Amino acid sequence: MTNPILENIRRALGRPQETLLGLRPSILEPRTPASPDSEIAFFLEEIENLSGVGQKLAANEVETALKNLVSEQKIGKASVWNTPLLHDLKIAEHLRALGVDVIPPNASKHQIAECDLGVTEADFILPETGTLALRSSEEKPRATSLAPRVHLAIVTPAALRADLHQVFAEAKNSHYLVFISGASRTADIELTLVLGVHGPKNLYVWVI
Amino acid sequence: MPKAQLFLTCLGDQFYTGTLQNMTRLLEQLGVELVFPAAQTCCGQPLFNNGFEDKTRAVALNFMRAFNQSDAPIIGPSGSCVSMVKHHYPALFQVGTPEHALALDISSRIFEFTEYLVHVLQVTDVGASYPHKVTYHASCHYLREMGLKTEAKALIHAVKGLNFVPLNEEDTCCGFGGAFTVTYPEVSRSMMENKVRNVIASGADTVITCEPGCLMNIAGGLQKAGSSIRAMHIIDLLASH
Amino acid sequence: MSNTPTYIGFEEYSQHIPASIPAAVQQATSRFIVGRAARVAELPEWEQLRQAGSDIRLHTIENMDVYLAQFEEKVKAAGGHVHWAETAEDARQIVLEIAKTHHVKMAVKSKSMATEEINLNQALEAAGIEAIETDLGEYIIQIAGTGPSHILAPAVHLKKEEVAALFSKHLHMNAPDDPIELAQIARKTLREKFLAAEMGISGGNFLIAESGTLVLVTNEGNGRMCTTMPDLHVAVVGIDKIIPDWESLTVFLKLLARSATGQKLSTYTQFISGARRSEGEFGPNEFHIVLLDNGRSNILKDPIGREVFKCIRCGSCVNVCPVYKNVGGFAYGWFISGPIGAIFAPQMLGTQTARELPYASTLCGACADVCPVKIPIPTILRHLRRRVAQGDEFSKPSMPAPLQVTASLTSAALASHWVYRFGTRLLPLINPLFRHNNWLTNMPYPLSRWTKVRPLPAFGAHFRQWWKKRRTTK
Repeated sequence: MTNPILENIRRALGRPQETLLGLRPSILEPRTPASPDSEIAFFLEEIENLSGVGQKLAANEVETALKNLVSEQKIGKASVWNTPLLHDLKIAEHLRALGVDVIPPNASKHQIAECDLGVTEADFILPETGTLALRSSEEKPRATSLAPRVHLAIVTPAALRADLHQVFAEAKNSHYLVFISGASRTADIELTLVLGVHGPKNLYVWVI
Repeated sequence: MPKAQLFLTCLGDQFYTGTLQNMTRLLEQLGVELVFPAAQTCCGQPLFNNGFEDKTRAVALNFMRAFNQSDAPIIGPSGSCVSMVKHHYPALFQVGTPEHALALDISSRIFEFTEYLVHVLQVTDVGASYPHKVTYHASCHYLREMGLKTEAKALIHAVKGLNFVPLNEEDTCCGFGGAFTVTYPEVSRSMMENKVRNVIASGADTVITCEPGCLMNIAGGLQKAGSSIRAMHIIDLLASH
Repeated sequence: MSNTPTYIGFEEYSQHIPASIPAAVQQATSRFIVGRAARVAELPEWEQLRQAGSDIRLHTIENMDVYLAQFEEKVKAAGGHVHWAETAEDARQIVLEIAKTHHVKMAVKSKSMATEEINLNQALEAAGIEAIETDLGEYIIQIAGTGPSHILAPAVHLKKEEVAALFSKHLHMNAPDDPIELAQIARKTLREKFLAAEMGISGGNFLIAESGTLVLVTNEGNGRMCTTMPDLHVAVVGIDKIIPDWESLTVFLKLLARSATGQKLSTYTQFISGARRSEGEFGPNEFHIVLLDNGRSNILKDPIGREVFKCIRCGSCVNVCPVYKNVGGFAYGWFISGPIGAIFAPQMLGTQTARELPYASTLCGACADVCPVKIPIPTILRHLRRRVAQGDEFSKPSMPAPLQVTASLTSAALASHWVYRFGTRLLPLINPLFRHNNWLTNMPYPLSRWTKVRPLPAFGAHFRQWWKKRRTTK
C-alpha cells in the first residue's frame, strides 16, 4: 500500500528510492564517570539543586528515616512498588508499623491519587542531571511516582550510569521509561516558581 | 605604501561628510594612499534585504565596476554595507560567470574600517585623545555578520583620557534594521527607546558605534529624548584630539 | 486567535499591544536568557553539540521518508496505532473518530503545538467533547480565551490578580491572588479531570524511528498525567519531529532544556513505545499516534526553507529577539511567534497570508547565535522576503504594487551613478523646509515614517566636492 505522505516527501526531496543517503552524523563521545563515591555525591548534590532531598543511608537507617519522613510530611496513605530491594528493606512493613495505610501499587487510579506517598526504586540514576530513570511493569506502575504528593525513590549505587548513552543503550527496548529530574514545577504565573503543580511536590532520594 | 579605495556607503555619503573626511585623514596619516572611485553609489543592501534580489544585481554591478578600476583593497565605514559586499555579492551571480568571479574578487578585498586598522595595518592606537565618559553600542551586522567582536573596543580603549563605561544590552539591536524603521516604525521606536534608555543609564556623555545607520537612529533618538549625550561614529572618536 | 488566519497584519497588531505585554514578556525572556547562559557555560562542548544537532537534523530531513516508515513499522510492532494525516482536517477527523469509538466525553490535553496548529480543541468542543488544557499556562489562557504570548510561558502576559479573577469566575470560587495557591487550585481541579477523562491527548517532542518511541518532555507532570491516567492516549505530532535513533536523542535532550528554560533536563521526560503491557502498570491500553503533514512535505522541496524543520521548539530565538521583546507573541498572529514563527508561518500558511512576518525582523542575527540546532534564521528570512517580493516556485509575489514600483525606481537610481549624484545634489535643497536645529522633522510620507519616531539628520553630501577641491589644491 502506498502512503501518499511518504510519496510526497520522496518527491519533494527528489529521492529515487527508499534507502538512506549516508549515515547518521556522529555523536559526541560518552562521558567518563568519576569514582562511584564522587558520582553519588555529585548525584545527591544535583537532587538538592532540583529542590529534592537527597541522602545516603545504610540499610539499618531506613526505618528511622521513614519515621522522620512520615511525621514530617504527615503521611497517612502510601503505595510501595513490589521490588526485591524494597522488600528487603521492609518499606511497606515499616510504614504500616508507623500507622500508614499502605495500598498495593496496582490499586485503582483513584486510590493511588489519594496517597500521600509513593515509594519507587529507580532502575538507573544519572549524576550529571540528578535524574532518576524508571521503567514500568505490573510491579512497578507509573502512577506511584506521579500521583502522590510525596515521591520517595530508593536506589543503590548499582543503578549509577555515566550518561544518557549508557541508559539508552540498556533501556531503549523498554515499552515505557520516564526520567524524573526533580520535583514537579511550574513558573506559569508571573514566573513564580511553584513546586508540585501536577506531580509530586516533594522528592526524596535515598541511596542505600 | 599601502593603497586603498574609499567606499563612502550611501548613508555616510548623504549624512556624514565629516566622518568621511576624518576617515580619509586618518588613513592618510597612517600612510595609506587613497583612491576615490567617483562612480560608486550604494551597495544595494536596502534592495537585497527586502527581497529584491533581481533588482539588487544592477546596483551590485555598478559597485563592482566602480571598484574594479583598481585592484586595491576597499575600505568602508560600515560593517553592514561591507558585509553585504563581502558575504552576499557572490550569491547574487551564477557560478561560472565573469560577474561571479568579479564578486568573489571584490569580496576578498573589502574591509570594514576598524577591521582594516586592526588587522591589516595592525594599529589600535591612532594617537587620539578624548577626555570623556564613553560607552559603545555593538552594531548587529558589524558584530555578527562581520564577526568583529573586539576591534572597536581595542581602538576605543587606546584613546587617551577616555573613561569607558559599559552599556547594558550592548549587543541588542537598536531598532534600525534599514527599511525596518519605516516598515514597522512603532516597533522600531520601542527598540530605539530601549537602546536610548540604556545609553542614558550608562552615565556616558558619548556613545560610539561603527555603523552610520545605528548612528542616525540612536542620535535621533537621543535628540528626541532631549538628551545631551553625543552619538558618534568611531571614526570621529579616533580623529579627536 | 485562530490558528488558520487568512491574513496576518503584523504592523496593525503590533500597534495595538497593551503596554503591559512587552513588560511581562521582557521579564520572562530575561529570566530565560540568564538561565540558558548559565547552563550553556557549563558545557565546554556546547558548540560541538550544536553542530551535531544541526547535522543530525539535516540528515533526518534528507531521509525523512525512510525514518518515518521505520517509525511506523516499530510503533505497530509495539502494538500502537499509526495514522497519517495529510491535512489538518484529516487529523481532526482521525482524532474525533477515535474519540467517538471510545465514547469519549472528556479529553485531557498536554501542551501540544500540533493540536494548536489543527485547532483540535474547537473540533472536539463542536463534537460535544470537553477538551481541557492541563499545562497551567495553557489552562489559564484556555479559560481566558486568548492565544499564547510566549512559547514557553503562554500566560506570562497575565498578572496574578487577573489569573485569580479568571479562576474565581470560571471555578465559582474566591481565588486568592497568590501563584502558589492558584497552582494548588489548578492541581486540585485538574486532578479530578485527569481521573475522569477517557482520553489523553499529547503532542510529542521527538519521535524515535529506531524503536517507534514517542518522547514527551514536561515540567509540571501534566504530560505524564495525560498519558498515565486515561485508558486511551492519542498523540498528534508533526512529521518533522522524527529523529533516527536514541543516540541522536542524547544530543537533543542536552540541547533542549538548557536552551529553553535553563534546566539541564526538564523535570519529566517520557519515552513511550506502544500501550501498557499489563493493566496494573497504568498507562493507556490503546496508543494512537497521528502523524501530521499539513503542508510539511511540500516545504521539503525548498532546501533553504526546510531548515525550519531542524527546530526543537526551545524558544531561545524568541527570548533573544529584540522585535519579539517589544511586541510579544500576539503581534505574530499565529501560535508560534518570534523569529521561528516568522519563518514558520509564511511557509505553513503561505506568503499571501503571512507576507508581513519575514519583514518583522531587523536581521540582527541574535536568533541564529543562540539556536541550538543552528537554523540560519536571517538567511531564511531573506529567502522568504525574496518570495514575497519577487515570487518563486512556491508562490507568486505578494508585495503590494507601490512597493514594487519604489524598489524598481530605487534600483534604477542606485545603478546609475549619474542619477545617484544628481539626487544627492537635490536632496539638501529640501533641508530648509523641515530643518530645526540641524535636524529634519515632520517630513512628508514616506519619510514621515522615520521622522514621526525620531528626527533625521540634514542631507549634506559634500564629500565629493571636498575630495575634488583637496586634490586640485594639493
